[in-house]
Amino acid sequence: MVVDGVEARASARPASAEELAAALAEAAAEGLAVIPVGGGRALGMGDPPARFDLALYTSRLDRIVDFSPHDLTVTVEAGLPLETLQAELAKARQFLPLDPFGGPGHTVGGLLATGWSGPLRLRYGTARDYLVGLRVALPDGKLARSGGRVVKNVSGYDLNKLHLGALGTLGVIVEASFKLFPQPLHEVTVRREAEGFEEAWREAERALSLAMPPVALALLKADSGYSLVARLAGSEEGVRRIQRELGWARTPFLFWVELAESGSRSWARLAVRPQALAAVLRSLPAPARWVAQPGVGVAYWFSLESAGAFRAARAAAEAEGGSAVLLGASTELKHEVGAWGSPPATIDLMRKLRAAFDPKCTISPGRYLV
Amino acid sequence: MNRGALEQLRKAVGADHVVSDPHDLVIFERDASITGALPDAIVFPADTAEVSKVLRIAAAHGLPVVPRGAGTGLSGGAVTIRHGIALSLARMHRILEIDAGNRTATVEPGVVNLDLSQAAARQGLFYAPDPSSQKACTIGGNAAENSGGPHCLYYGVTSNHVLGMEVVLADGSVHRVGGDNPDRPGLDLLGVLVGSEGTMAVITKIQVKLLPLPEAVTTLMAAFPTIETASHAVSDVIAHGIVPAALEMMDHATVGAVEAHYRAGYPTDAGAVLLVEVDGLTESAQELMDQVRRLLESNEAFSCRVAADAAERELLWAGRKGAIGALGRIKPNYYLHDGVVPRTRLPEVLRQVGEVAGRYRLPVANVFHAGDGNLHPNILFDLRETGVMDRVEKAGEEMLRACIDAGGTLSGEHGIGLEKNAFMPWIFGPDDLDAMQRVKDVFDPGGSLNPGKVFPDAERKEARLLARSGVASEAQWW
Repeated sequence: MVVDGVEARASARPASAEELAAALAEAAAEGLAVIPVGGGRALGMGDPPARFDLALYTSRLDRIVDFSPHDLTVTVEAGLPLETLQAELAKARQFLPLDPFGGPGHTVGGLLATGWSGPLRLRYGTARDYLVGLRVALPDGKLARSGGRVVKNVSGYDLNKLHLGALGTLGVIVEASFKLFPQPLHEVTVRREAEGFEEAWREAERALSLAMPPVALALLKADSGYSLVARLAGSEEGVRRIQRELGWARTPFLFWVELAESGSRSWARLAVRPQALAAVLRSLPAPARWVAQPGVGVAYWFSLESAGAFRAARAAAEAEGGSAVLLGASTELKHEVGAWGSPPATIDLMRKLRAAFDPKCTISPGRYLV
Repeated sequence: MNRGALEQLRKAVGADHVVSDPHDLVIFERDASITGALPDAIVFPADTAEVSKVLRIAAAHGLPVVPRGAGTGLSGGAVTIRHGIALSLARMHRILEIDAGNRTATVEPGVVNLDLSQAAARQGLFYAPDPSSQKACTIGGNAAENSGGPHCLYYGVTSNHVLGMEVVLADGSVHRVGGDNPDRPGLDLLGVLVGSEGTMAVITKIQVKLLPLPEAVTTLMAAFPTIETASHAVSDVIAHGIVPAALEMMDHATVGAVEAHYRAGYPTDAGAVLLVEVDGLTESAQELMDQVRRLLESNEAFSCRVAADAAERELLWAGRKGAIGALGRIKPNYYLHDGVVPRTRLPEVLRQVGEVAGRYRLPVANVFHAGDGNLHPNILFDLRETGVMDRVEKAGEEMLRACIDAGGTLSGEHGIGLEKNAFMPWIFGPDDLDAMQRVKDVFDPGGSLNPGKVFPDAERKEARLLARSGVASEAQWW
């Protein structure tokens, strides 16, 4: 396994959470650096590792521990591929509204550790909103649970949230429980082309102001112009009315499947409060290819080339209180601009938290903000 | 508390805003739980800077600090079990901004939940979490406890709606966590502070999400012969892919008390009454409610009634939200837990709840969030009866135990506080609690913020006895 040009000296494929915790603790005791690997789809995220000794694969932790369709909950091991989980849930006409870019092949644990999400967050939020329980292997070999398996729970601190998007730096996620959703009663995908950005943005705002907004809305910038694609879901009568009010043309659902497979070797995620997204998009260079999520405030820039253009976009996002994070880039570009951008004002508290869980920086040293 | 500390507090917030007369302190002895303890002083800061000063003074004198909203909490979160300072945020009650464009509001912690929703409604928006105490409870308290409410079934709990907070730590330092960037790089400090029950930080500002008011809301009341039939109906609705905005159940005892008080039109011969609310487009709400009604009726529902207008809807809800108060008709005092179970286990757990109550010779009335399996068994009693509290507490503990044995958890929305911290080892092992303690130690290394809560507390038993005997006449305060 190679991450940003740094090759691991060894790898481990533990068969259980206990084995994984033991391997992690052993590495920590020896002062080694460990990078947890799920599907390997998001290893481009973060700064180049300072050290890398052991690739710790979760691939053998791939069981569905408990699926209770009538309770709308599921508990899975971290190495389970998202597609496998969704196929199982679909048998009960349910789903996890997690539709990240850069697939297929994401594992559940990897998605939680990276905090990736997709277009459906417009309606369903991110994993932060439907993750109900975690089990995490800590560098001292302990296995700690937080939350539970029920859909509503305020027992103890909500440590689930701390691990989301932490790139494994507080511990390696080995098991997760989710609240599930029933598949929509009725659903259509509609599309509209636009020549210029302003026209496209106005249409996006119109879609968002409908009495029943789309559950997902993507604004795509390609070489030839702009496309808007929306996913309308709800009761049959309701969807029919909204489709009529919106007036966009029907298009195959396949669009979303293909969108989820888009990614790039050199790409970034821009995030800003929804009302400021248009200004940030205008700051991107004309030839840029990107997909934006109006109403959410997030955009994926797929054709990242020069450090200068990226710096300008990051400055525009940060000026609005947002951020620009590299999801994958050459080691050179990472060294030049840094993966994460300006550190948050609370960085000291974050450092203390990291030190409380991973005092020797065993997990992914150098890759995360802390 | 020594004179020096008191003088400093008076200087920090103004002498009028520090209460230390023993007679006045009694007012802040309790929250809505069954324990109480006197603070040494009550301090009412006016703004963040004053909160920070108070915390610095407390740190210098080694005084515990317990933040307090409206005191409607049910788990003892606002009880000053180690005495020290009760920090009331009541004076910080301004709505600072409602940003209709970004659909957010920024408020001070003392803003009352319902006041925010009403202010937002003027711009066609609403704040989703709606605890039954929403007429009194504050947004700061809601954020500290991660409160729920009937409409959380569809809309989610408080943590799903808080975007950012300004907090003051025990050392007096002020921090902004979260914000409106949807993908903030860095650890989610906001996420772990919401629901931390005042043990890690004092919340001084909250930015929340607002949602557009739905075009249509329809509310249906349905009666069932038994709790079992009603529970099956609930499962059937959800199995058909319908997640209503709210799905609430009341048992026979509750219906009787509520009907006598509110005349909401609940059939008093019902074994259980369900309230179902569906919102959205006019067409969707209608279509979904028709489907819901058919499903309920195929599960033995009778006397189904859809509220004809807003007034009727509010009456149906008044009964549900005022249910616990109405139970005063049966006995003057109540005690309730809010354990959660997987929804499919509701009928058997409710049966066990009834058995436990019978064994302890205590009446119990159930009103709960059926959609998400969140129980609220109200144990009814009269505090003037000698020795009744021991039976009440024992019964409550056994009911919670039944929830845990069914794969559930201790609390869905009320918090752990000092009511259930001794039971934490039922669901969390030493390693789980140790992980939580590490986080606590980062934010509050001296352990001065709301001590004796959330974590199992070796000093608890003694402290509670002290608390009890510290009350001149317990019954007086019920």
